[in-house]
Amino acid sequence: MRFQQIIENKTKYMDLLLLTDPQRDMIYRYLDTGDMFALYEGKELCTLAVVTVSGNRECEIRNLVTTYGNGGKGYTRAMIHYLSERYRSECDTMYVGTWDYEESMRAYKKGGFEYSHTLNDYYVHNYQEPIYLDGKQMTDLVYLKKQLDAEVDLKKVVNFALNAGRTLLKNGAEIFRVDETIQRICKRYHVEEVDTFVLSHAIFINAERDGEEVYSKIKHVPLSSANLAIVAEVNDLSRKITAGMISLDEAIEELDQIEHMPAKKKSHLIVAAGAGASAFGYLLGASAMESICAFFIGCILYIWVLFAGKHRLSKIIINIFGGILITTMAVLMYVFVPVSMQIDGMIIAGIMPLVPGAAFVNAIRDIADSDFLSGTVRMIDALLVFVYIATGVGIALGVFSNWIGGVGVCLTGL
Amino acid sequence: MLDWFVVNLVCPCLGTVAFAVLFHVPNRFYVSCAAIGTWGWLIYCALLKPTSPAIASFAASLTVVLISRILTVRMKCPITMFVIPGIFPLIPGASVYYMAYDLVISETREAGQSGFLAVKIAFGIVFGIVSAVSIPREVFSGDYWRARRRKKNKDDWY
Repeated sequence: MRFQQIIENKTKYMDLLLLTDPQRDMIYRYLDTGDMFALYEGKELCTLAVVTVSGNRECEIRNLVTTYGNGGKGYTRAMIHYLSERYRSECDTMYVGTWDYEESMRAYKKGGFEYSHTLNDYYVHNYQEPIYLDGKQMTDLVYLKKQLDAEVDLKKVVNFALNAGRTLLKNGAEIFRVDETIQRICKRYHVEEVDTFVLSHAIFINAERDGEEVYSKIKHVPLSSANLAIVAEVNDLSRKITAGMISLDEAIEELDQIEHMPAKKKSHLIVAAGAGASAFGYLLGASAMESICAFFIGCILYIWVLFAGKHRLSKIIINIFGGILITTMAVLMYVFVPVSMQIDGMIIAGIMPLVPGAAFVNAIRDIADSDFLSGTVRMIDALLVFVYIATGVGIALGVFSNWIGGVGVCLTGL
Repeated sequence: MLDWFVVNLVCPCLGTVAFAVLFHVPNRFYVSCAAIGTWGWLIYCALLKPTSPAIASFAASLTVVLISRILTVRMKCPITMFVIPGIFPLIPGASVYYMAYDLVISETREAGQSGFLAVKIAFGIVFGIVSAVSIPREVFSGDYWRARRRKKNKDDWY
């Protein structure tokens, strides 16, 4: 027995849904917003259910149908049990509306439902054709209800949402994505009143419930380098949560796993830096030999970047020294490689792995989304990195042109 | 001819993928990143001669972001995945270098020119990204166009 939530192509199951709800337009009313679950035995679809959640912590089973030949095998009860477990964290009460027919109410009553109220003549008013079961016309809609005993933990939800937001922000997501993710997670786990204020390096969040319980938290998120794999994973997780596919506890566990996801191998990063440098060097007009040299420059540069990152050196030092390193290596290669080359091609290529592309693009996107404060901070971050690199290159060039006469002559002759 | 291929197709592909690796983009997006980077570069090259570097950068970054947005909807992932590596071939690293170099050898005028060019290119990229980002999200999903077509057909019917 296997449960699965169905998210796409819900209309494919229309024939089945029509068995218990004989009018198409009534089904369309809940099909889009409802969560659809299927119970499979092996590959065979046995039971299908559609549940809608309303804001005040109540949900309703809108349709529950067992396929032909699978009745009386306990699938319906299994589905009811699964649904009550599933919505326990989100809802207090689960309703189900059914026709006034002992046979169809029995399964629900076994599943812990009890009588709630009756809507008289519901089927007469809402359905075009009269419905007959065992020769008796069905007129009333009987509601059964079941208490799902669980409390939503406001703090737990907000803390989780904040953690997801922090993970996104730290790894180079845009401000609006962080904001949206936090809001979505809170909404899905029924913390309705939530206000967020996201900056490039901090998240403020304030949540309220029923005007009584108020919870706010501030998280500082230092600017750091981008890891888009984590952004992609958290985004997928957020999608799953919005679709209602996982419970809060599962989501917390999954976020934890994402945060400890193994990074790409250092050797791969180093080779990538080299390849990037040489490819862009060739693109920008360096000769083949210069590009090959740029490959080594890029590799060695990235070893330095990784080393500096491990020891938490500041950006100023990483980039200024990076610029010096690139220039020094380019000059050394110029002097010692017995092929005629130009220094500037190698340096331009070597700079590329240091270029703050992520900060630059994110800054523009934030400004385009009217998050001016964060956009400005990120833009200054990007510009300063450029300035640091230029300073490093400038310092090294200055030293070499004064120090080694021969090279200096070549330099001014560029 | 072979040289042209290497310069304009292989290099942008390789470079973009290399930067995708540096930013830890998941493996499944590498091909899309490479395609986006290459298209951006081709547009840039095509427009560089007839217009100015700034306009070419504008058009190229516009293309990069537009393709990225279409792919984002298709592959259900954040757009950052494609835009950051894709924009790399357009970044004016060379101008920044020449500015630093000219400053060192006290060619202030030249340095000013290189710096100004870098700023112009950067603004071209900014405008490209901003204009592509400002288009509403629905336009990029297939459902929007399907719904429009359906509506149109319906109107014809009545």
